[in-house]
Amino acid sequence: MSELPKQHQVLFVDDDHDFLQVIRELFVAWSENVWQVHCAKSADEASGILKARKIDLIVVDVNMPVLDGIQFIHILNQRYPQLKKAVITGHATEEKRSACLSEGAELFIEKPHSTEGLKAVFTMLDELVSWTPQEGFQGVLRQVGLHDVIQMECLGRNSSILEIHNQQTHGRIYIEDGSIVHAVTGNTVGQDAFQKLLSLASGQFQLQPFEPPSQHTIEGQWEFLLMEAARVHDETVSQVVKTETATKTEPLPAAKTSTAVSGFPVHVAETLICSGQGDVLYAWQCREASTRIKLLQHIAQQTTQLGQLLPLGSFDRIEIQLAIGRVVAQVKPDRMIFVRTAPTTANPSQKQA
Amino acid sequence: MSNTLQKWLTADAVVPGMLGCGALLPDRTWLSYSFKETCPREQLNNILHQLAETMALFASNGLVPRRLTWTFDQGAVLLVVRPDGLLLGLATQFNTEAAQNVDRLVANFLKLDLSH
Repeated sequence: MSELPKQHQVLFVDDDHDFLQVIRELFVAWSENVWQVHCAKSADEASGILKARKIDLIVVDVNMPVLDGIQFIHILNQRYPQLKKAVITGHATEEKRSACLSEGAELFIEKPHSTEGLKAVFTMLDELVSWTPQEGFQGVLRQVGLHDVIQMECLGRNSSILEIHNQQTHGRIYIEDGSIVHAVTGNTVGQDAFQKLLSLASGQFQLQPFEPPSQHTIEGQWEFLLMEAARVHDETVSQVVKTETATKTEPLPAAKTSTAVSGFPVHVAETLICSGQGDVLYAWQCREASTRIKLLQHIAQQTTQLGQLLPLGSFDRIEIQLAIGRVVAQVKPDRMIFVRTAPTTANPSQKQA
Repeated sequence: MSNTLQKWLTADAVVPGMLGCGALLPDRTWLSYSFKETCPREQLNNILHQLAETMALFASNGLVPRRLTWTFDQGAVLLVVRPDGLLLGLATQFNTEAAQNVDRLVANFLKLDLSH
């Protein structure tokens, strides 16, 4: 008896109900039932489906209300780095294309207006969903942070070798039973090598099966090692920014580390996006999500009362200048956003909660 | 202290576009002034009191505000804390002299000598 082909779970996210219906009917038929098509009319609905079942490919419309496709792809890339992602739009521009691809989409497609066009889209998406990556884990530092992978391996108490390389550098980090035990790059070993590898701006990494290292050069808790590497990286970036500021007269280009009005480089320290009901849609470095949600809900309650008392129109956002850093919170009926920034040069021990 | 503050609030802070302003005194009462009939003093006190409570809530969550701005479509409410704990609240309309002078008012408030 011949083996049945593996079913592909494909999720389409588009606020156009008619388009979704056409896609579902045609693509299931063209795939000869190999595709199982799921549809969502919003990012919120799509998030629910992604939580409930494994999806192989997601196809997102750029122009959606509340959370647009580009933002949603960014969130998906953080939350589901293994998920294949494609973007479809009725109004394709070079800016949208670049934005979507840089946020992690594998394909950027213009919405077709004919059955032939739809067939071509199906073929492209079928290629994408059928494509199997090389054996072993592969990632790009720009999209999935090395920190995330190391954290994942340590939390899972796994044993593996993380091989990292770019054009100039090649190195290995050894993780044994969830502990970082050795790192090597060129002639450098130990924590120095670990920090050097984690400070790479771009490159590739691959998880290899574990083999015991020739020596153990690193001790200590992985959490501390990652924090220390982040601190060293921040200081290096800060030095680069200072040097560039001293030698250039033109403004610094937009980069991962931006420069605040005060002249000190700042970075995003915490981000939380929730639905209007307080369901987390995206959280990054937000250790106290439930506390933040309560805070946002309190703001929501206050704004309702303030809107009635003040002749200033509807509420837009709240900005808080902290002793160290800044918070911006936005509360709308369908979403709540909390972002905290902090100066990159700040002593970590002085950071706000 | 109250006299100096009173003079400052009724002189410096009275600019077109200012809905009202107030300072939270150490006895937890508000010394406030309303400059628009659409936002009477009692209402302004109520607003400033609520926002000050929110500031305290932020602080209890490890986010100690020095300056807090609630931005609306047509204006903003700003709260600023001095190192001595004195709190200033300003409600301004956008595109007015008050909005343009907020930073100057805050700077003056922060260096206001209240020792006598």
